Amino acid sequence: MRFMIMVKATRDSEAGVWPEEPEKERLFAAMATYHEELAKSGVLLDASGLQPSSKGARIKFSAGKRTFVDGPFAETKELIAGYTIIQVKSREEAFEWAKRFPAPHGDDKEGEIEIRQLYELDDFGPSEAVDRFREMGLATAPNPKH
Amino acid sequence: MRFMILVKADKASEAGVLPDEKLLAAMGKFNEELVKAGVMLAGEGLQPSSKGARVKFSGEKRTVIDGPFAETKELIAGFWLWQVKSKEEAIEWVKRCPNPMPGESVIEIRQVFEAEDFGPAFTPELREQEERLRAQLSSKQQ
Repeated sequence: MRFMIMVKATRDSEAGVWPEEPEKERLFAAMATYHEELAKSGVLLDASGLQPSSKGARIKFSAGKRTFVDGPFAETKELIAGYTIIQVKSREEAFEWAKRFPAPHGDDKEGEIEIRQLYELDDFGPSEAVDRFREMGLATAPNPKH
Repeated sequence: MRFMILVKADKASEAGVLPDEKLLAAMGKFNEELVKAGVMLAGEGLQPSSKGARVKFSGEKRTVIDGPFAETKELIAGFWLWQVKSKEEAIEWVKRCPNPMPGESVIEIRQVFEAEDFGPAFTPELREQEERLRAQLSSKQQ
């Protein structure tokens, strides 16, 4: 089963501000070490950081209408600043890895991560559309050993 | 440049209601167009937050909170990763996306950081490590 670990944004991450040196370099090294352990354990699938919402946008869908809204967005703590996708054998294993995640904005800063399970194509039941997703290689775990 | 396209949750997605066949077919067609255009890097759906958890960090302390979480409209129900030439191109693609939910819904477009954005804290050693990890991951995904 696959899980996404989402790093919640903070005022600093939304402002595009990194921790001061040497904390910034220490944080990057801690993140690199953690992700290296994930990779060595065959758990890591992907990871990236998101730029502040000021560089993003939203599209709202309502009754056939599409409305475009430019960033930034106000509810900072509900925004996402980065993510890591892992493939594990159980929810418990996912939560254990999540507890070992480095404090995402530095040791002296508050932070929050959210752990969510990904849908697999089998969850949607059989249909022609699901087969087409499978052919595209989407929403499928790459490594059959888990 | 890479963009993450985030589909916001609604009451139905948080209740574990799956898309019907019509929406799955429309999404499948849209995804096929993304793949043909060389835009698609990944696309996934997230299970309801009731099956998830949060970890809060405060100093050395870590607190685990089990889902579900209340603020439905700020939760994520799915995402794509796209490779495009500009933010405008990403927005054009999102405008062509089928409405991902049965009623009202919101999709958020966010640019992904690349290695060069991190400055000198991303030392040559860390960069080398990252490239090694990415090489391992892409060989795993083939």
